[in-house]
Amino acid sequence: MRKIGIIALLLVAFSCFSQNKEVLYNFTSIPQASMVNPGADVSYKFYFGFPVLSGISANVGSSSFSAYDLFANNGVDFNDKVRNVINKSSKNDKVVTNQQLEIFSGGFRVGGKESRSYVSFGAYQEFDFFMYVPKDLALLALDGNKNYIGKAFDLSDLSLRAEVLSVFHVGFHSKLNDKVVVGGRAKIYSSGANAVSTHNSGYIYTGQAAGTSNIYEQIIYSNLELKTSGLAPFTKDEYEGNIAEDITHNTFFNGSLGFGVDAGVTYYIKENVQFTASIIDLGFVKQSKNIETLTYKGTYEYKGTNPDFLGSNDPENVFDEFDEAIPRDTLYNKYTTWRPTKIYSSIQYSFGKSRADEECNCRMPQSKERFKNDVGLQFFAMSAPREPIAALTLFYKRNILEKLDFKASYTFDTFSNKNIGLGLSGTIGMVNIYALVNNVLEYKDISKANSAAFQLGINFVFQDKEE
Amino acid sequence: MKRNYINSILKIFAVAILFFSCSSDLDFDQAKDLKLEPVIVANLAYFSVPANLLAQNTENQPLFDVRDFDVFKDKFFNDHLKRCDFDVEVENTIERNFIVTLRLLDANNTILETISYPVPAYKGSQNIVKYPTEVFQNLRLENLKRTVKIVFVVLIDGEPLTEQSLGNLKLRSSATVYLDIE
Repeated sequence: MRKIGIIALLLVAFSCFSQNKEVLYNFTSIPQASMVNPGADVSYKFYFGFPVLSGISANVGSSSFSAYDLFANNGVDFNDKVRNVINKSSKNDKVVTNQQLEIFSGGFRVGGKESRSYVSFGAYQEFDFFMYVPKDLALLALDGNKNYIGKAFDLSDLSLRAEVLSVFHVGFHSKLNDKVVVGGRAKIYSSGANAVSTHNSGYIYTGQAAGTSNIYEQIIYSNLELKTSGLAPFTKDEYEGNIAEDITHNTFFNGSLGFGVDAGVTYYIKENVQFTASIIDLGFVKQSKNIETLTYKGTYEYKGTNPDFLGSNDPENVFDEFDEAIPRDTLYNKYTTWRPTKIYSSIQYSFGKSRADEECNCRMPQSKERFKNDVGLQFFAMSAPREPIAALTLFYKRNILEKLDFKASYTFDTFSNKNIGLGLSGTIGMVNIYALVNNVLEYKDISKANSAAFQLGINFVFQDKEE
Repeated sequence: MKRNYINSILKIFAVAILFFSCSSDLDFDQAKDLKLEPVIVANLAYFSVPANLLAQNTENQPLFDVRDFDVFKDKFFNDHLKRCDFDVEVENTIERNFIVTLRLLDANNTILETISYPVPAYKGSQNIVKYPTEVFQNLRLENLKRTVKIVFVVLIDGEPLTEQSLGNLKLRSSATVYLDIE
């Protein structure tokens, strides 16, 4: 019990991110920008990512509390902190984590030198965790039902999903003319472990009604379901392996397979007004390896021990009755999970033409001039079990030096309304290095941040030499 | 050109410093201090005996019923139970005094506890008695945890009842369970 509690708390503490990559989006000097919009106006002769270091991203968010709220070393009793966190959370507060690690990536231009079509490919590993704060169940565990007579503790508060998977992808994008770039990407998912419990309902109720014979009316109506894939062997007593190693192996070589697509477009309404949109991870995984679904479905009313003095021998066994009323069933059916689908869109206005022509402009073979400043608005939305998560971002991008770009963003979302992101992408020779962070205001004390995210990576990018 | 590169590098580092952040002192070990102390209320027992059922026993022999009471067989519950309270209320609409007794028995039918509730006779007005809370802690709680059966005994204190006697003897009770889960 204690172990479960600690694991749950650590998950909560460390796992707090939405998947919005607002700083990376449309940051086209970074090849990985095409991972959030396959139709991004990214160009190169060819590039490849530094293996394992080309794209590292992590994102943690909790809409109602921070790591500091739970783990501050300030002398306050831990149980009081837990209680405060639960009290100030609502059932729609969420705890989200996403982590991605590019294993390899690369891309090249197809066709001749005049071609503006590109193929990209790669593989990355991803971990996703999404949970709503199970407020009612936490209250019941902390306080019991004594002070909540008449309240139905809602079992639908329990809603979470988690997945470890690897993604192999191939993309194509093409600048059809000076105005339009379109792109798409196909993805094969290989899911090493998945757990979903998002369609729960039911309640635990203790009430008092006048005129009833018993003191309390006590009813548990349960419709709980936990689907797992790839996890069943680890719960068996005879399992003697290394869970982390086995999950890693399954993720890359023996996962449940799925398929998805990304698509995106960039459209220049005018030379200096640009619109983009993309949809990422429109796909599914057919969970088929080591499937185990647990259900607890039924209704149980507890009436206590009730003698009738009639000499009837009616043995009562509370636990047997409970198990009979709400049996634990294990099913082994395959199931399909939908990937959390992301939608991005942006509108951007550019101004201040670069006078960089006097410097080397070998990186931009297609444009002799470029705008030094971009301002605009981005929209992000992601599917979630109850209702989508959305965010709105204002951004300013500046080309500081020919090979050094800077982006600042200000994001409003469920986690924060003062989330400032900063990003830098610089190219030295053929080496492109980028580092992006968000929520910088909270960096003066990161432990108090409700969310934090970073992406960083190293690529080798080759452009045409100016002739 | 070269200066340009050096500049780039410097600027990258300059901004990188911005990315270094501070954090308050966090102590993740305190998760070990997590202690759940839920207080749960539940029905304990209920009965309603009509006067004419009591009248079948003309000798004023006590009326009794033995019921299995197996909640303490659950190891988790048993291990984390720190205190248990019984609250009993009796409503008597029969014109007799009664003594209601609860006996807690262990697996060998040994009596662990006997709790008696004297019930006053009905005199035409509302007659509900709420008895003081029985608190089970320490040694008394250890006895309670061994309970596997409860015997309910109803004894008429006075003249026997007849088939025509009116009224009911109703008992309602609840348990308040204090758990301590670390």
